[in-house]
Amino acid sequence: MRRLARFLGPLLLAAAAILLPFAVGAYPLAVARTVLVYMALALSWDILVRSGQISFGIAGFFGLGAYASVLADLHASLSPVLSILAAGAAAALVAAFLGLAILRLRATYFSITTLALAEIFRVVIHNGGDFTGGAEGVVLPKPIFGGDSRQLYWLALGAVLLACLCSLVFQKTRLRLALTAIRNDETAAKSNGIHIFKYLMVAFAASSFIQGIVGGIQVQSLGFATPESVFDPNYTLLPLAMALLGGIYSTPGPVLGAMLLGVAAEFLKLKIPYGHLVVYGIIIVLVILFMPRGLFGLARPDRPSAAKARSLLRKGGGEGSSRA
Amino acid sequence: MSLRRSAMLAAAGGALAAAAILVWKPTVLVYGVQRAGLYAAVAIPMALVLGIVHIVNLAHGELLMVAAYLTYFGATLLGVDPYVALAPTAVVMAALGLAIYNLAIKHTLKAPELNQLILTFGLGIALSQGVNLVFSSQSFKLSLGYVSASATIGDTSFGVYDFAFVAAAFAIGYGLRLFLTRTRFGKAALAVGQNPRGAAIVGIDVNRTYGIVFALAVALVGAVGSMFLTKQAIFPDVGGPYTMKSFCLVAMAGVGNITGIIYCSLVLGVAEAAINGLRGLRGWSDIVFFAIIVATILARSRAESRR
Repeated sequence: MRRLARFLGPLLLAAAAILLPFAVGAYPLAVARTVLVYMALALSWDILVRSGQISFGIAGFFGLGAYASVLADLHASLSPVLSILAAGAAAALVAAFLGLAILRLRATYFSITTLALAEIFRVVIHNGGDFTGGAEGVVLPKPIFGGDSRQLYWLALGAVLLACLCSLVFQKTRLRLALTAIRNDETAAKSNGIHIFKYLMVAFAASSFIQGIVGGIQVQSLGFATPESVFDPNYTLLPLAMALLGGIYSTPGPVLGAMLLGVAAEFLKLKIPYGHLVVYGIIIVLVILFMPRGLFGLARPDRPSAAKARSLLRKGGGEGSSRA
Repeated sequence: MSLRRSAMLAAAGGALAAAAILVWKPTVLVYGVQRAGLYAAVAIPMALVLGIVHIVNLAHGELLMVAAYLTYFGATLLGVDPYVALAPTAVVMAALGLAIYNLAIKHTLKAPELNQLILTFGLGIALSQGVNLVFSSQSFKLSLGYVSASATIGDTSFGVYDFAFVAAAFAIGYGLRLFLTRTRFGKAALAVGQNPRGAAIVGIDVNRTYGIVFALAVALVGAVGSMFLTKQAIFPDVGGPYTMKSFCLVAMAGVGNITGIIYCSLVLGVAEAAINGLRGLRGWSDIVFFAIIVATILARSRAESRR
């Protein structure tokens, strides 16, 4: 019964999300689409965070995907839908290639290198001449699906479902154990036979793949791309704040955070055109200081397995209790 | 031995590159050195915090920007030169640094390192967007006569004012080194940096040391921010790149090597100036630092695996 309830909630939410276009008008739908875009990014970021690596490069792979999609569409005349898949593949490939170097880095070094990535990609695209459209960017003949707002919404929802699926795979399979082990103690993980580089690479490529897909979807939906619009640091900032507020290391956390902050973002943007992002900076600081596990972490009691392990340790005595 | 040899090789290579650039375009060398001065002056305080408090402050560049804004409004309201406002700015920034340490950073010291990173990232956003909220993204600039002073050697003339940043870098770098090795507090701070627990056991107040070191670093960035204003236009996002470039330099010099940053910044500054000097490549100079980071990382990891 409890198991059923656990599945029922997400299913109902998904059904409501799918049926939403029939219930609301064009403006709420456009807002909802934006929220979904950020939600998928927040989910993708969380996948990598579970390994203990914080990426500040969301906007980088998002923008890379956006440009991959546009260029595949214009230069290779791929269909828009295929070009979105190509965007994911391109982002994942670039991530894998860069990962050969930057996944040797840990913690701070990794984070700052990824922070630089968006800037690097932007400079490359900016100086790409006619091929990338340079500083002026590129305009597509027409947005995907002729710009029909319902279909655009479903497309973004598809990205979120993909991201949720991916997040669940990383949560329910042995990938979770490997990534959690790496996060908690890399040396211990290594001595237990976990191939650290391999797992980090999988997580990094998967999260970049989703970011690339979302970038492709966003640019195909808007119909244009400029280096400044697709490498906008907001695509790093907002997903990060959303996942943190909702609660990291989980699937519902980023979803919850994105719904709360996404709607708030739209409201704030109307009220305060300049500098409304200050709120996100403050939210990040407050969440880290006062509830590092986020809203979902507050609601979620200790995992039964963790509690069990702790009681076992207490009973076990010996070296177990001295470590606990 | 091999370390000494590679250091000598690096020095020889650097001298050769400098000679080649001198023949090709002397101004590139001059502007590169000037750039390096600014980079080093901004990066050294970050190295101080990283070396002693063991925190990477991702709001570093934003603090530079805030100090520049403070100086701008202080200097224009009172009608004084930014250099007059430098000391008061540094004092205000020190207070801000102390507040940031006590209200935020102190509480994450025991948390995983990543929490500190996200915290300072959020702080940086809050600072730059806060400024954006109050002053909008409009840029401010002072027009000062003395910054356009120039000199002519042979038939090349170049601006000389920016050598002030080189002087500042040397003053901050060697001043800090003296402070850390000669004064009682400095020695205590170094001890805390090496081993906080050991330092606490011998009676050093670790938390207070962290707070003062952080405030000192912010004050230094503040002073550099005042100088920064004399030359550059300021806007909310002006500080961001300096965070990354500073970190690049700190990583390159190695944590704890404060004066080494000055020499590493020469590589970055001259390389950027050289690329800016090539007509077709002008737009690419912003990724030099990234290439340097990746090269440093790869070299380090190779050296480590050989050990």
